[in-house]
Amino acid sequence: MWKLILGFLVFAGGAMYLLSQGGDIDMGGEKHGVEAHEPASGAASAASH
Amino acid sequence: MSSIPAPVRGAASPMTPEEKKVIFASSLGTVFEWYDFYLYGSLAAIIARQFFSGLDPSAAFIFALLAFAAGFIVRPFGALVFGRLGDMIGRKYTFLVTILIMGLATFIVGVLPNYASIGVAAPVILITLRMLQGLALGGEYGGAATYVAEHAPHGRRGAYTAWIQTTATLGLFLSLMVILSTRTIVGEEAFADWGWRVPFIVSILLLGISVWIRLSMNESPAFKKMKEEGKTSKAPLSESFGQWRNLKVVLLALFGLVAGQAVVWYSGQFYALFFLTSVLKVDGSTANMLVAASLIIGTPFFVVFGTLSDRIGRKPIILAGLLLAVVTYFPLFKALTAAANPDLARAQATVPIVVKADPATCSFQGSPVAREVDFTNPCDIAKRALAQNSASYANEAAPAGAGAVIRIGDREIVPPSGALIAGGHKFDEASGKAIAQFKKDVAAALKEAGYPPKADPAKMDKVKIVLILSVLVLYVTMVYGPIAAMLVEMFPTRIRYTSMSLPYHIGNGWFGGLMPTIAFAMVAQNGNIYHGLWYPVTIAAVTFVIGLLFVRETKDVDIYAGD
Repeated sequence: MWKLILGFLVFAGGAMYLLSQGGDIDMGGEKHGVEAHEPASGAASAASH
Repeated sequence: MSSIPAPVRGAASPMTPEEKKVIFASSLGTVFEWYDFYLYGSLAAIIARQFFSGLDPSAAFIFALLAFAAGFIVRPFGALVFGRLGDMIGRKYTFLVTILIMGLATFIVGVLPNYASIGVAAPVILITLRMLQGLALGGEYGGAATYVAEHAPHGRRGAYTAWIQTTATLGLFLSLMVILSTRTIVGEEAFADWGWRVPFIVSILLLGISVWIRLSMNESPAFKKMKEEGKTSKAPLSESFGQWRNLKVVLLALFGLVAGQAVVWYSGQFYALFFLTSVLKVDGSTANMLVAASLIIGTPFFVVFGTLSDRIGRKPIILAGLLLAVVTYFPLFKALTAAANPDLARAQATVPIVVKADPATCSFQGSPVAREVDFTNPCDIAKRALAQNSASYANEAAPAGAGAVIRIGDREIVPPSGALIAGGHKFDEASGKAIAQFKKDVAAALKEAGYPPKADPAKMDKVKIVLILSVLVLYVTMVYGPIAAMLVEMFPTRIRYTSMSLPYHIGNGWFGGLMPTIAFAMVAQNGNIYHGLWYPVTIAAVTFVIGLLFVRETKDVDIYAGD
């Protein structure tokens, strides 16, 4: 069990480190609305999540 | 595979290496599922530019509808197709096929030529791949949950299946690591050009490992026994949904468990992030860090609650999670506002905003495929502008035929209307300019009234934010940790795969997947930034009542009894 916890913490720590270095990324998951196909749409920010 | 039949082994025995392998092999598929889910979210803008930017608006809209269908119609359809196969030919081969389809489709996206290279064939192939993925995804979760549960000893199914539930976090972190590393190594420009393909291509490694492990696994002992005795179902679909005795349980699983679980899950995992960035205007990087920290704190609780459900029952834990969500969502999200953007909380309390309009001129804003150009009435344009600025407002009915107006404190702004050209796909130049100017005026008036355009990092109470987000994730672990075991235990082996997959995908796809869109539409319609919470609160409350009254506890059910 301790190996799993350690592994998870190392893995999560790595992701947190990368996020802290430049984590401007959409973590909101797959988009199902029209915004996924309208790269320049002004509506994207409003209805995308 | 354990030489001791899984159901006979004592609940106190430690997990055997074979059982660990079963859990690992099954969970890898769901890691894949989540990895994909986050890739398509993070890379949506780039994928849209690569594959859809050359399409005319009508074609783009059709593709948007098809992509929407891939998520919401194809997955439940996949649950039927692969659920049926899983109940007829076996769990092992079925979810070997699902992971192969899913993995190959992901890989092919990484090597697919873009619109500039092969024209309209590019988006057609991409959407086809998305459909195939959706189909395979529909069969993956049910297969993994069934396979693990049928290998677990009686009294440990909650603990064993809970590991599958942790894979959403693992999939997120894996996607973050691959995307951010690639972006850092190749640079922003190259990433937008070709580097975005790398996360899709490297998924072939994950696929290779998954297939290799799954090939070495044996069929689930329950299915094997049933097959040897010639008791497998010949028509799982009609047995699952054509007979009221089982259909009733399917409906109870959907409305008494999964619907509430789905909205709590989406609220904790996605709506909280959306609320932080889009409503409270916390910058994206900070919000990501805060949410990731809360996920690290919360994720082990999937296993904690799964294990606990083997002792005290699945039902009390799931229902407690639903009830806590119902009772505390409003205070928690209000506390989130005060901690993340205290200036916004103050402005909302001191400067009232009112939209005065003839109600007959205000339309419904809840279409999930709605575009900016679908809203041309002044009332709608006013409401969308305020919603996009996270401004809470009240609605005041104006006499019939009167024009709309926004009142921010003492200032009044009149919204324009939009005139469309290009077959209704574009605002004409004059109204486009007027709408842009109106949005600028609204933003300026809000700023003047003390509404901050961004949350001030210096004023954020980050510890409190992580604490609140962790509580939201804790609710997710309460409702989601024990649910796989419970769904498995609700149905007999001969139709288990089919019967549990459909309510899971309808619940999570429809009730959960539409939650952000519906919540946003409710906010835009009503004006109060917390109004969207009524959606998860209502669904969770209804699920709680149905679950409490009609769903039986299943932890002591002998899942082999009906075989």
